[in-house]
Amino acid sequence: MFGLARFLIIGFVILTLIYTGVSLWSRSVRKAKLKKEWEEEVRQGDKEEFVEEGLEDYSHSFRRKLILLVYIVPALLVLLIIYLVNIN
Amino acid sequence: MVYFKWAFWGTIWLIVAAFFHYTLPQHDIVRIVNTYEERQDLSDWTRRFWSTPDDQSQTLENRDVQFIQAVTPEGKARVYRNEDTGWHWPPYFKFDTANLYTEANDAKSTKAQPEWYSITHYGWRNEYLSIFPNAVALKPVAGPDATIIPWLNIIILTLFFALIWAIWVRWRRFRRNRIDPMLEELEDSYDAASDAVADRRGRIGRWLGSWRSKK
Repeated sequence: MFGLARFLIIGFVILTLIYTGVSLWSRSVRKAKLKKEWEEEVRQGDKEEFVEEGLEDYSHSFRRKLILLVYIVPALLVLLIIYLVNIN
Repeated sequence: MVYFKWAFWGTIWLIVAAFFHYTLPQHDIVRIVNTYEERQDLSDWTRRFWSTPDDQSQTLENRDVQFIQAVTPEGKARVYRNEDTGWHWPPYFKFDTANLYTEANDAKSTKAQPEWYSITHYGWRNEYLSIFPNAVALKPVAGPDATIIPWLNIIILTLFFALIWAIWVRWRRFRRNRIDPMLEELEDSYDAASDAVADRRGRIGRWLGSWRSKK
């Protein structure tokens, strides 16, 4: 059982690092796009406020939740391998 | 410098190739002839070529290991160990060692009436180090020259090289946009600084010259 615990802990730590990295990157991409949108299309009101609002919307979006696939896909892959190697 | 660079990258790629060759599954078409179990000493550096099937085995200095003996269609001997990989590297998550042992025993056939099996395994056989590839799965095939397309290896290696390519392209772009201009700037400012020094020396020289007696 210790082997399983070790596997889960190391896996969780690595995936959390990837999740954090992808989250920060995705947010920065979103921010750059919002700035560009304001400069090229909106051009009225406060730019900072526009970007803030856009990021707030993004925080609750489905697109952001898709980053959780970073955890889900490897977990499913491990289950698939266990099934194929041991049961099938 | 060029030789050093080639040697460096050559070594890196050799290690990568060896890593994949050891870890990725391979298929052998064989006839199973026998199975046996033998106590193995596991206290020297070749320990890394054996598995860690459970928690106790991390500290054991020797234990029994199952083996599967087989013969290729060309008549060459193949010996596989049969061990759980458990939750350890490589990630095969093999727990059904006892079942595979049973299947292997059931699959035995004679030279006169051969039955051919595809045995999936990873690892290396080395007679001098006494290391064996680990058998992962066994399945019957039509004949000794059945072809097996290694889809999994194709997918994994394609993804790996795509990743390397993506990193390489980004690195090139980063170097072109950020590092090269910085080096150029450094060069320019160095040139400017040495020009300024030369200029100043000229002025001091002129000033010193003004003290000399004019002829």
